[in-house]
Amino acid sequence: MIETTAKTGRKDVGTLIIASLLIGLGLITLYDVTTYSDSDSVVFPSFVAYALIFCSVLVIIYSWLKPNPHNGFGTGDWWRRFLLVASMLAACLAMPLSGFLPATAIAFAGGLIAARHEGWDARSAIIFALSGVFIMAGFYSLFRFALGVPLP
Amino acid sequence: MGLEHLANALTLTNLALALFGVVAGTVIGSIPGLSATMAVAVLVPITFSMAPASALILLGAIYTGAIYGGAYSAILLNTPGTPSAIGTTFDGYPMAKRGDGDLAVAIACFASVFGGIVGALALLLLAPPLSSVALAFGPVEYLWLSIFGLSLIASLSTGNVLKGLAGGALGMLLSCVGVAEISADIRLTFGVSPMIGGIEVVGALIGLYCIPVLIDLVATPERHLKVEQGVRAVRVREAALIAWRSRLNLLRSSVIGTVIGILPGAGGSVAGLVAYSEAKRTARPDQKFGDGEPDGIMATESANNATVGGGFIPTLVLGIPGTPPDAVILGALLVQGVRTGPTLFDGGGSIVYTFIFGLFIATILMLPTGLLIGRYAYKTIVTIPKTILVPAVGFMTIIGTFAIRNSVSDVIIMIVLGSVGWVLSRFGFAASPIVLGLILGPIAEQGFVQAWIIGDATGNLAGMFFGRPISLAIIAFTILSLVYPVIQSRRAKRTLATQANLND
Repeated sequence: MIETTAKTGRKDVGTLIIASLLIGLGLITLYDVTTYSDSDSVVFPSFVAYALIFCSVLVIIYSWLKPNPHNGFGTGDWWRRFLLVASMLAACLAMPLSGFLPATAIAFAGGLIAARHEGWDARSAIIFALSGVFIMAGFYSLFRFALGVPLP
Repeated sequence: MGLEHLANALTLTNLALALFGVVAGTVIGSIPGLSATMAVAVLVPITFSMAPASALILLGAIYTGAIYGGAYSAILLNTPGTPSAIGTTFDGYPMAKRGDGDLAVAIACFASVFGGIVGALALLLLAPPLSSVALAFGPVEYLWLSIFGLSLIASLSTGNVLKGLAGGALGMLLSCVGVAEISADIRLTFGVSPMIGGIEVVGALIGLYCIPVLIDLVATPERHLKVEQGVRAVRVREAALIAWRSRLNLLRSSVIGTVIGILPGAGGSVAGLVAYSEAKRTARPDQKFGDGEPDGIMATESANNATVGGGFIPTLVLGIPGTPPDAVILGALLVQGVRTGPTLFDGGGSIVYTFIFGLFIATILMLPTGLLIGRYAYKTIVTIPKTILVPAVGFMTIIGTFAIRNSVSDVIIMIVLGSVGWVLSRFGFAASPIVLGLILGPIAEQGFVQAWIIGDATGNLAGMFFGRPISLAIIAFTILSLVYPVIQSRRAKRTLATQANLND
């Protein structure tokens, strides 16, 4: 009971930060539009930027007065989340240097490690690695040869 | 139009082409990143040596199959396979999470077939008169149509409308990134050259819908979808019964899809969202849209498949493509020397009517093939271990996004947008309003600037924006869609209060 009351009384800091960042984005947009040469390019982004700032200010006021205790990152392993996203980004950075398949193998391996909660042994490692090779080869062939996508 | 055209459509070759087209389209459409446009575009070259009617049947079948195929990944992975299936994720994924994915897939199939048939019927019976609707739409009507679409944010925002509106504005700002369509100014790139190409909608869609799901999946050891014990692969009879009970919703959504399909540039994504909003607006009090309500899937899927037939109306009658895949099909017809226009229905009637009957056949074939493919898609996704599902879907998002413009930058933008989208969603900023802003932003901007220029030149700005009958009708609908949920909620509260008083 005490815990619930404490949780309800807590400010929704995440929402306040996000809304402040959105206001910042709106202000940056209003600065950016001053560099455009044609007035036709200015009207729409300016209008949208004002709308974004206005809505974000209202979000801040509303969240300050009525914070939502359910907002937050919840439970779960942070290293798995980071590994997943970081391995996908690493694959993108490696792609121009190593080619498509070796680069995406990084993302695939990162995803495998991040998603596996049951622990590893030699058998499961071989099975999942082989499955990965088949899946990647299959989709690569579909896109590269059947659909003619020029994969690097 | 006569029996000879039906007979032409029923030749073994045309039947085989329709079947191949539907299966190929369904499979391609189910892969995130491969849109219906791409499915049609990659298979266009194989039609060049065919008779025009057969080529059209094949392309129409691929198109209709791909639009339906988008529902699989929307339901089972929360990732719309094609932009048309955005609305399918709202209720499809919650249904799959609670163990009703098989039912959701079957409902989507029935709705898609129904919508496809309504669209094809409109093409068959009403093509010439309906095409005049497309001509009556000027820039200002498109502006109001996009504002009507944006008003859906109110109904798409789960919980907090203010956050939905802020998300919609963020989406519209993102749509401004890159070279301005009207004046070629470079906007909001901050000197980063890969941003000049702008934010690709399909890539952004994959990022905003798929990456958050993957991030959530890896964080905890729980299963990705609930498996119901003793349930068959696809619950056909139950789905048919639900579809029959909601026939009015199916019909209304299909008509919405057909009419929006006629409007050049609007497409299946807008049609699906408008139909979803209408279904939600007219829902019974016990229906909970967004929590796994079958009517939500039916509205989106029937509307997006109805745009196939609807989109062919201006394409064939006026030579103006109603949707992006129609533009590709129009190009294929021009290569074959077929001149589109009203004369196509008179002089060259045999081609167009054979095609329309072929489209009917392809749509009907979608029922058995869709249910069969859906059965295996569902079983595969449910039984596959999460350890392999996550990297496989992650790999598909990379290859699918890359394939759109052969750009690594698009993939990076997709991943970053997806990660940002995950953070935003954790604090109540839903992905759907951002996507809606991203899709409707360019339509709204183009309509606004063009209408402003015309109004300014004619010295009648107010008349331009508020004096045209179609515009006024759309404005009225927009106001209605904003005000009606408020009235409905007050009425529901009043009814509850009355009932409580009576109980006391």
